[in-house]
Amino acid sequence: MPPRIPFPAIARARFVPRTSVASFLFGRAQFSTSAPKAFGLKPKRTSSSGSPVLLEASRAHALSRKQTPTRTGVLAYKTGMTAIYDENGVRTAATVLQLDRVQVLATKHSKTHGYFALQVGFGWRQPKNITRPMLGHYEACGVAPKKELREFRVKDESGLLPPGTVLNADHFTVGQFVDVKANSKGKGFAGGMKRWGFSGQPASHGNSLTHRAMGSAGQSQGGGSRVLPGKRMAGRMGGQQHTVQNLKVLQVQPELGLVIVKGAVSGPKGCIVAVQDAVKRPLAKTATA
Amino acid sequence: MSTTAGASLRPLAQSLKALTLRPIQRRAVTDYASLRDNLPRKVGMFGQKKVFHSPQADEPRRHIKIHAPLPAPASKTPIESLTSLQLATLDPTGAKQKMFSRHNPDSVKVGDILQVRRKNGEQPFAGVVINIRRRGVDSAFLLRGQVTRIGVEVWFKLYSPLIEGIDLVQRTEKRKRRAKLFYLRKPEHDFGSVANIVGQYMRQRAILRGEGPKNGQQGQRGGKTGKKGGKKN
Repeated sequence: MPPRIPFPAIARARFVPRTSVASFLFGRAQFSTSAPKAFGLKPKRTSSSGSPVLLEASRAHALSRKQTPTRTGVLAYKTGMTAIYDENGVRTAATVLQLDRVQVLATKHSKTHGYFALQVGFGWRQPKNITRPMLGHYEACGVAPKKELREFRVKDESGLLPPGTVLNADHFTVGQFVDVKANSKGKGFAGGMKRWGFSGQPASHGNSLTHRAMGSAGQSQGGGSRVLPGKRMAGRMGGQQHTVQNLKVLQVQPELGLVIVKGAVSGPKGCIVAVQDAVKRPLAKTATA
Repeated sequence: MSTTAGASLRPLAQSLKALTLRPIQRRAVTDYASLRDNLPRKVGMFGQKKVFHSPQADEPRRHIKIHAPLPAPASKTPIESLTSLQLATLDPTGAKQKMFSRHNPDSVKVGDILQVRRKNGEQPFAGVVINIRRRGVDSAFLLRGQVTRIGVEVWFKLYSPLIEGIDLVQRTEKRKRRAKLFYLRKPEHDFGSVANIVGQYMRQRAILRGEGPKNGQQGQRGGKTGKKGGKKN
């Protein structure tokens, strides 16, 4: 008969090989989130000739090249579409986005993280449904537990806001342009016609049994006898992040927390979208225009 | 007690002794609760040496302060709030809402004949309602009529400021058993021109108002009798 043991888990754990213990310790010692060394060797910022112009291969130049809004974005619910009539009676289809207790939680600085960004929280979640590590994060940020967190990159230090800052709908101004990011509705496994707009085959003229096929995938001998990488084919469609750029802000209603943008936004009703100043239409230009 | 095949049985006396003479012992009860409390809390795995434990392992759990949430947004149904805000300016009297309300028994139904007067100076358009699309402030209805003897369908946005007024020219005789009267597009069901009905309605309305028949409406004569007087907005 096997020996009686009070707590079998202890006995089992004794037989775990020693190596896993060592690797566990080793991993802990190496773990770090924000050490400067985490970014590897720093390439030179400027030429050794003494020119102040940044070298193109440098990180600093890459940061300056990147198109980033100057201000942070917000998270919002997509609540649905409606129509807006302007003073001339012209109707515009519009999407209503609702902000819900949007707050800044933390910031990232180029000195510590390599770029400037803000962590923005949205909504509220029951603390009992949140893990202790995340509760500690919310405590450090001084905000209530959030439903969703998202990072928004900004151009420079002037775009950073102190943690706890509440962002309301009046963060945006009427007439400005925004980019809206959201996960599109999943369409499942879709054929070439639906997914890529292929023409398919004719319904008649002797066609039989082949009306929605994608057709040829490429040449035979002479074309390499292979399918080129990136060939558009049938497959999973939708359910991916999709950005709609340059949507005009038609109305802003801070008391209801609503931002109404012109046109459509990806995703189903009730999904969470990220709204930020348009990258291709900077705020300063639209304000003067 | 089961014995496997081939194993030798124990002598009978020994078995009897084991059955009879053994005192009944108390089963050892494992106190799992005290065991759990006595174990170090933060450990990678059970049975580790103490040196491998986290330095905070023996400390009590820290109390994490949970901040109170901000007040929730004013409206849980923002589209409805927005619609009521918009209708306050687009339909201040509520007449259009009442005209197409599901709760109003005298509301416009499919099969009725409507005339829509427009602000931009275009001719009024009259036709049979073949579709009503209720979408709050974006509600609309589809009229099928004739222009120069060609069947024409026009969508009108109910709350559009470009609509001056909607006249209910004639109600349908029987309640239609379909929500969308798309079958009216088939030649055998086509309603044809509603000009005669509308003309008669306009004359009646002019008489009621004491204006007398208008010249523009005199050419359209005859046709079916209008069942009921229209409603003006």
